[in-house]
Amino acid sequence: MTTLAASPSRRRAASATSFLAHVDVALLALPLAISALGLVMIFDASRYETARGGLSRLYYVERQGAAVAIGVIAMTIVMAIDYRRIRDAWGLVYFAILPLLAGVVVLGRNHNGAQAWFQVGPFQFQPSEIAKIVVILAIAGYCHQHRGDLDAWRVAVAIGLAGLVMAIVYAQHDLGTMLVIMVCAAAVLVIAGLKPVHIVVLLLLGASLVGAAVVTGKVQAYQLDRLTNFANQSTSHLSAHDQTPTQLNLSASKAAISSGGFGGAGFGQGLRTKNGFVPEQHTDFIFTAVGEDLGFVGGAALLLLYSLLAWRLWRIALLSSDFFGTLVAIGVLAMFAIQIFENVGMTMGIMPITGIPLPFMSYGGSAVIASFVAVGLVRIEHARRFS
Amino acid sequence: MSDNSRVRVSIVGVVIVALFASLFARLWFLQMGPEQKLGQPVSSLGTRVIQTESPRGEILDRNGKVLAQDVAAWAVTVDRNLSEKARDRVLGQLSEVLGIKETTLLANYESNRQSPLMPAVVALRVPLAQQLAIREHREAYPGVNVTELTIRAYPYDGLASQLLGYVGGVDALDPKTFKQLEAKGYQTGDLIGRSGVEAAYESQLRGTPRKVTVQVDPTGRQVGAPINIDPGTVGNNVRLTIDIRVQRAAERALAEGILAARNEQDITTAKTGYTKLKATGGSVVVLDVHNGSVLAMADYPTYPLSWWVGGISTDHYTQLSNAAAQNPLLNRATDGQYAPGSTFKLVPALALNQYNVFGASNYYDDKGSLSFGGSTFKNDNNTVNGPVNLQKALTVSSDVYFYQAGLDFWNIGNVDPNRGLGIQHMAADLGFGKTTGIEVGDAVGRIPDPAWRTAYAKANYKTAEEVRQNSIWYPKDNIFAAVGQGDDFVTPLQLVNAYACFANATANGGRGTLWTPHLGQSVSNPVTRKTVETYTPKPIGNVTIDPYVLSQISAGFNGVISDPKGTAYEAFKGLPVAVAGKTGTAQIPGKGPTSLFASYFPIDNPQYAVIAVVEQAGHGAQIAAPIVRQVIESITSPNLPPTPIPTVVPGAKD
Repeated sequence: MTTLAASPSRRRAASATSFLAHVDVALLALPLAISALGLVMIFDASRYETARGGLSRLYYVERQGAAVAIGVIAMTIVMAIDYRRIRDAWGLVYFAILPLLAGVVVLGRNHNGAQAWFQVGPFQFQPSEIAKIVVILAIAGYCHQHRGDLDAWRVAVAIGLAGLVMAIVYAQHDLGTMLVIMVCAAAVLVIAGLKPVHIVVLLLLGASLVGAAVVTGKVQAYQLDRLTNFANQSTSHLSAHDQTPTQLNLSASKAAISSGGFGGAGFGQGLRTKNGFVPEQHTDFIFTAVGEDLGFVGGAALLLLYSLLAWRLWRIALLSSDFFGTLVAIGVLAMFAIQIFENVGMTMGIMPITGIPLPFMSYGGSAVIASFVAVGLVRIEHARRFS
Repeated sequence: MSDNSRVRVSIVGVVIVALFASLFARLWFLQMGPEQKLGQPVSSLGTRVIQTESPRGEILDRNGKVLAQDVAAWAVTVDRNLSEKARDRVLGQLSEVLGIKETTLLANYESNRQSPLMPAVVALRVPLAQQLAIREHREAYPGVNVTELTIRAYPYDGLASQLLGYVGGVDALDPKTFKQLEAKGYQTGDLIGRSGVEAAYESQLRGTPRKVTVQVDPTGRQVGAPINIDPGTVGNNVRLTIDIRVQRAAERALAEGILAARNEQDITTAKTGYTKLKATGGSVVVLDVHNGSVLAMADYPTYPLSWWVGGISTDHYTQLSNAAAQNPLLNRATDGQYAPGSTFKLVPALALNQYNVFGASNYYDDKGSLSFGGSTFKNDNNTVNGPVNLQKALTVSSDVYFYQAGLDFWNIGNVDPNRGLGIQHMAADLGFGKTTGIEVGDAVGRIPDPAWRTAYAKANYKTAEEVRQNSIWYPKDNIFAAVGQGDDFVTPLQLVNAYACFANATANGGRGTLWTPHLGQSVSNPVTRKTVETYTPKPIGNVTIDPYVLSQISAGFNGVISDPKGTAYEAFKGLPVAVAGKTGTAQIPGKGPTSLFASYFPIDNPQYAVIAVVEQAGHGAQIAAPIVRQVIESITSPNLPPTPIPTVVPGAKD
């Protein structure tokens, strides 16, 4: 274990030589660029909502702007921490998040509810967003500790680490985040050297669990409605009255994107966005505002930005000299990729509707801050490679 | 990094490329490819009209104080298509964020006063911070919406509830009525005045709805901008003749009187044991004697109209509808029917002179009782008043004087049937036995006569012999009719209106006008601020009274208050303004007596007529008279505290 006494001199040396010299400019620039676009589109998509709610037109933009600023600061702090200390302290980080996560569940239990956030003054802090990163760090740290020696027992421990957090998140009725955590954990484990036989066993286990959950009614009706609806989208024979809220959501979302065409309606011109046809448009359905107002050009450009981000993350995973670094980069890559795919996919009807935000775009402070922190973690591995 | 890891990282890369490629492909299909038509206006566009209610007009008092108005309020609604489990969970979440008990939210959700077709309003007047907490976590609140509603607000909540009336959803009405309203442009979820002024002035208050015509695709979704917007019009404001200051004083006095009565012994049951008066309810009305405008119309028991807002809770509905509550929804002033007791003596007093039966100056020896045909009719408390003329008979409330009047008319009836019904004719001239025509509607009441007796017998008896026997108009029937007992029923409004007619006769040299009592003063457009309609007083009829008779009756009414032998002398002692009044105590079989007091003031140049009627509250002098005193004080000296209702009036009679 690295001693605390040894680190100051190393860190000073590191920051002097490599802190800026080895910055992956693209990796830092991409989240900032996407966040900037996000602010603009939140303004666009929340105009109807703010007008209806009697709020300032910049209400959501201001709050998201504050979250981006906090996120950038948090990212910088994370970048300044010696990654070996994070690597070795994964247990501490992991066990610190548990009471936070469990806290919201316990508070919610009083009223038969399942609130998933803490009210901090005017802001709400959602620990499950941070939990995604903590799970990545924990499994990466654990696998790094036992690299090359990942037997069935240790695989079970690693899965247990993810499973505990997933169970608590599930208790908050946040099925989407639970699935994201599952994908991140799976990605890290596969790269860490999971044996093919383990992979097969786990896949079978996972499938039967999902089946059991649906059969025993542990999945809420609305969750099931969302899951099944993307498979059954031909609702055009139904009038608006006969469609479930999810069907309406989905068709409104698809219609908005579709109406954008190649060049889009123009910023602020899209009728569906302007008139608030797409529910939750500034949060989960922000991509529909891009699709309608900026068209295929805008939508494709945004996807391209995300592709570049994914490519930089993947490149770092491949080039990292450190096993932990590779695992974290893969975890973060998986986290962003699944969120982007799920979120954009659901707006276009190829994925079920869940409450997963689009990284750096969707309104939501906890998610934005967590995303920047995730990027900060990856950037260190890249920088360390050269030190 | 091992080669194995490198391979695996590469595989992850391939997977991710595939994911992004499918997103690009899907985006292309949706926006440029075959599914592009989704967002385009399709060829077979229909139109749909989205109709929303315009704000309802305000109801104001005569000085422009707002009594009822529409205000915007933020509400949390819950969809009705949730499963019970999902609903309970979401109500639990809402309970957490709103700080309202889950049981309360559930009660609101299930309230039968809410439309089952619309999302249920579970919380009203939700503060901004809580609205935002819900909106920012939509995913945590499936089926929940935060919407702006227009709700009825009552700045003087709790006052004039029966008179203003409540608004409710048209859905709550029976299907037939709903169909008729639909034809008039109402739709599910609209509000309509259900009682009182809100119902009477519905056509003025409602305005016309806003109609937005949009094009819709076959799935019912809007395509493009609205093609037509009819902004609708805001409902008109209705200004009432009510003075909320007097209304408040009247309600306060009535409540105080009723609570005082409940602490007093019911002497009618003194022989069987000690019971207190029940004083189940009552009413106070103040009229302007020169045009029939209503200054105050108080009812007890009462309730706040805000209970109805957003759908009444089950708890509140029970409080309004259970038997023990004594029907707070009833406007007793217009729809309560009471035996008037001695307050009715105004009618035979006029009839005796109008039909030349017994002159006002003539003396009659009141021996304390009148025996006739084996029956004895006694004065209250068996008082012997000695020789009394009309003035004194009114002041001391001699029953025997008026029993004799009833008997005299009956005897005349044997010779001249029309003249024999002089009391009934006089009652009709003063507006009894028919509705007054007030906007909010009222009960008919009943003044019995031989024709009614026959019709009643025919309706209630089978054999010809029974019908014949029960059709007979006996002397006692006319005797009871003369003193406001037996089958006489009047509403407080009819009674006060008759006194108002007499009062304006004293100001107009004996020519009295019976005005239609009314609540509306004017209707104005809230946008242009112009008056659309002004109420012109409508006479029902006229009564001409001989000036001497008038002065005698007037002096008799004055004596009730100023003569130490007057029945309400104690109750009005020390009041600086000269008041004319008449006490009444109506015996009700099986119940405590109704306490009444009818009056007008100032006596020389009358302006207002005031009545108080309290059910099961003992003598008129005991409860009703002190209530009227407080109301008069609120008009003549509004800044002084009212004289408390005495707990026990010494020697209270009639």
